[in-house]
Amino acid sequence: MANDKIIVVGGGLAGLMTTIKAAESGAEVDLFSVVSVKRSHSVCAQGGINGAVDTKGEGDSPAIHLDDTVYGGDFLANQTPIKAMTDAAPKIIHLLDRMGVTFNRTNEGLLDFRRFGGTMHHRTAYAGATTGQQLLYALDEQVRSFEVDGLVNKFEGWEFLGVVLDDEGRARGITAQDMKTAEVKTFKSDAVIMATGGPGIIFGKSTNSMINTGSAASLVYQQGAVYANGEFIQVHPTAIPGDDKLRLMSESARGEGGRIWTYKDGKPWYFLEEKYPDYGNLVPRDIATREIFDVCVNQKLGINGENMVYLDLSHKDSHELDVKLGGIIEIYEKFTGDDPRKVPMKIFPAVHYSMGGIWVDYDQMTSIPGLFAAGECDYSQHGGNRLGANALLSAIYGGHVAGPKAIEYVRSLDKSYEDLDDSIYEAYRKAEEEKFENVMNMDGDENAYAIHKELGRIMTDNVTVVRHNDKLLETDKEIVKLMERYENININDTKRWSNQAAFFTRQLWNMLVLARVITIGAYNRNESRGAHYKPEFPERNDEEWLKTTMAHFEGAKESPRFDYQDVDVSLITPRKRDYTKKNEGSANK
Amino acid sequence: MSKQDSSFALRRLHSLLGVIPLGVFLIQHLLVNHTATRSEEAFNVAAGIMANLPFVLFLEIFVIYLPILFHGIYGVYIAFTAKYNIGGKQYGWHSTYRNWMFLLQRVSGVITFIFIAIHVYQTRVQVFFGEEINFDLVAQIVDNPLWLVFYIIGIVATVFHFANGLWAFMVTWGITQSDKSQRVMSYVSAIIFVAVTIIGIRAILAFI
Amino acid sequence: MSEETIKLNIKRQENNETQPYWEEFEVGYRENMNVISALMDIQTNPVNAKGQKTTPVTWDMNCLEEVCGICSMVINGGARQSCTALIDQLEQPITLEPMATFPVVKDLQVDRSFMFEGLKRVQAWVPIDGTHDLGPGPRIPEKKRQTSYELSKCMSCGVCLEVCPNVNDNSGFMGAAAISQVRLFNLHPTGSMNKDERLEALMDEGGIAECGMAQNCVQACPQGIPLTTSIAAMQRESSFHMFKSFFGSDQEVE
Repeated sequence: MANDKIIVVGGGLAGLMTTIKAAESGAEVDLFSVVSVKRSHSVCAQGGINGAVDTKGEGDSPAIHLDDTVYGGDFLANQTPIKAMTDAAPKIIHLLDRMGVTFNRTNEGLLDFRRFGGTMHHRTAYAGATTGQQLLYALDEQVRSFEVDGLVNKFEGWEFLGVVLDDEGRARGITAQDMKTAEVKTFKSDAVIMATGGPGIIFGKSTNSMINTGSAASLVYQQGAVYANGEFIQVHPTAIPGDDKLRLMSESARGEGGRIWTYKDGKPWYFLEEKYPDYGNLVPRDIATREIFDVCVNQKLGINGENMVYLDLSHKDSHELDVKLGGIIEIYEKFTGDDPRKVPMKIFPAVHYSMGGIWVDYDQMTSIPGLFAAGECDYSQHGGNRLGANALLSAIYGGHVAGPKAIEYVRSLDKSYEDLDDSIYEAYRKAEEEKFENVMNMDGDENAYAIHKELGRIMTDNVTVVRHNDKLLETDKEIVKLMERYENININDTKRWSNQAAFFTRQLWNMLVLARVITIGAYNRNESRGAHYKPEFPERNDEEWLKTTMAHFEGAKESPRFDYQDVDVSLITPRKRDYTKKNEGSANK
Repeated sequence: MSKQDSSFALRRLHSLLGVIPLGVFLIQHLLVNHTATRSEEAFNVAAGIMANLPFVLFLEIFVIYLPILFHGIYGVYIAFTAKYNIGGKQYGWHSTYRNWMFLLQRVSGVITFIFIAIHVYQTRVQVFFGEEINFDLVAQIVDNPLWLVFYIIGIVATVFHFANGLWAFMVTWGITQSDKSQRVMSYVSAIIFVAVTIIGIRAILAFI
Repeated sequence: MSEETIKLNIKRQENNETQPYWEEFEVGYRENMNVISALMDIQTNPVNAKGQKTTPVTWDMNCLEEVCGICSMVINGGARQSCTALIDQLEQPITLEPMATFPVVKDLQVDRSFMFEGLKRVQAWVPIDGTHDLGPGPRIPEKKRQTSYELSKCMSCGVCLEVCPNVNDNSGFMGAAAISQVRLFNLHPTGSMNKDERLEALMDEGGIAECGMAQNCVQACPQGIPLTTSIAAMQRESSFHMFKSFFGSDQEVE
């Protein structure tokens, strides 16, 4: 029998880590990505990666990291996998260090750590303020060495179209399409790992890269995978408003002493420090976002009455800023023309991360056997709100688990994809080719990009920081209307060669499908928890809602079906989440 | 280095030969010529010493002709594999100093190669066929103003190619690495260019 | 609402085999626009300056904050990232062309696989024994780390190759990016164990010797990477390596 064969979809941190783990065990990996993997969205992560290495003598430990993460996520996350993740975190950081990541160092040449939101400890390893880029490059380099060794085949510039399921409903490969030639092909394997990132582009402008449509996750959801906690969308408190994108201004700016303020009665008002004396500017993101939103939208105290407040680093030493925050200082300068070393930055919250995603078990396997998921596209590690610098950790940790577990799964199968009839694959390929033809033949009078803009606007207005049930219902109706308008799109360019519009049009449908999951999920959840906030139900309601939202696809024109799963609270009993004082769970450990 | 492509060593040899022996020979040659500014006799004496060195043909072949041929032919090949991006729409004429030097180094190299070929024909080859190397031989050539202009252009190009080549030599061998040292070397090479050009021009004008 | 418009002149090409042609566009002006948002407007309304319906312009974009390296193109004659090309700072009409050093895929989209092949050639990675837990990595002085960090910011955008007169169809020159990566990995304590292999890759055909020192790369690099210092440093290393492997003993790594 040939080597174990798996397919990884997505070349960000999670996908690359999965690939490395699988290739290391001798398996052959086909790695698919819509862009060269070095250009994946992980490069946009700035602040750092968490791990309780405790080099500062603070008595930090994985147990405290676990508690901070669970507490920060408002107890929605299953605790067993988080414990595994926080236990693995220090080892993951050391591994990355061995791979040559240019982590900032202490005077002794050891890894330096900084503070991040939702913790009292220095737990975040960082490489300037382009940590995600540096981590991605390290993994990209390792994968390149496996590529040279012939264990990894990269398919860059290929779009995932769906999983191939055998008669038993197991994932046995994928269909994909070459974005240049438009050729549709099936690829065989015994396991498929989705590492396809988040769905930020559903919200139009966000801190996300343009490829973050959530389209691939939506596709497997439409093929029967359960999508969990979709309504939990993190809105990052500090981003630079822009015409094409809302550019992230990392939490590390506050970790390194940045202060949020605005004018009140003619004087600077440090509203976070005032309300949260212990955490100050380093309260978790959902809280900082709601406060900024409240100051600007309700109290109308934004700068010059606009929806912006200051993020101020101008009191810090400018050389230190360059060393510790290199990357984001330049981004602000390049796009606004102002120097954050001298003047306070103007920022406003922006959609940033999806805590929800494809449902996975503790082995990162989805509800479809043989289909795994890791990284932002899975739902498992953050609950109701993700702590800063836990994303890079969860992405890499997810790959760390998914890779070996996929191999384990493959080895446990009693027949391989080689024993399957070719007709299965052929049917999938034909179906996708037909679908593509249908897209190419769209000759109505709507523009896909215009519909997307509309979707982004209604999602951002109604399904982000503050959610009202009436508006959510209205939003779902609007999405359905957009789905109707979708049928009337004009493809504009009928050439097959590198037709971006055709690919985008197909992604747009998947975004619309996922938008409904997010919106109706939010409508159903009548409580406030983590990033999900409803003024009508301002309190967390553990009795009714300490549950994972599970969305099931019921058909293109149908609403998703929801059921709910209990949360694993086997390690820490849920308690009230209150950042106006220190997290007692973390202090007691 | 068994699997190594030979082009690396050839490039290094190309760089080295440009300075040693060719650069050294250039300076020495121009200094000998410069004696003409003192008097006809002084030049004849100096040139006589050079022409009467023992094993002169051997020295000429291995220290001058072969290095020039290699440096020149390989250099022309290098010059014609580049895609120049000064002028035209791409970068306008406001290109960077180094990009200009990159272009001029190759232009001056080609001019130098042609100049030397003709110069050797007019002098050394004639000597080989029985002419005597002396003041008059050169004076006859530059008597024609067109040849004089040609010689002046040739000398300036050669000296430029040498002086700027020194800068490139320093980078090629990794001697100047930092921006600062490379900048200082730019000044040094500019000074060398001016000083040696003065020597060369004074010398050629002395033959008029 | 003002009627101010932005004029763009875009060099378009169906694919690598067809002839390129220029097409003019006008889009409405808004504050804080960049070249990408102007191109997005054309996507939403693919009509050229003459009012004719046309196909949307194809280009690559992703992060929009100059870290992914995908959106390089030649804007008003200079190669750069289109996301940081702010409309207010550009003379109009704004000309957009694909980078000429790389094969055109379509319109402004180019194929940069040559760069990734270069990274393979120079073995641009730190070889590790495995991903199992082996404890902390080697200690590294912070100052050295800062040098490495600057080099490690390379996003393979291709701008340094585009502006280099020696990277072209006549030569196999790998360009500044890959050379600088050799310096990065040779600086790392573990990476340096394989520094000879990387140097030898650099000394092979299309390697460091073909640098012509026009130094456009360092001027054009959007990440401010000290490419020419890297090249000179690798020139020195490869000079040493040449002498050592010829005159030296049989011990390769010191």
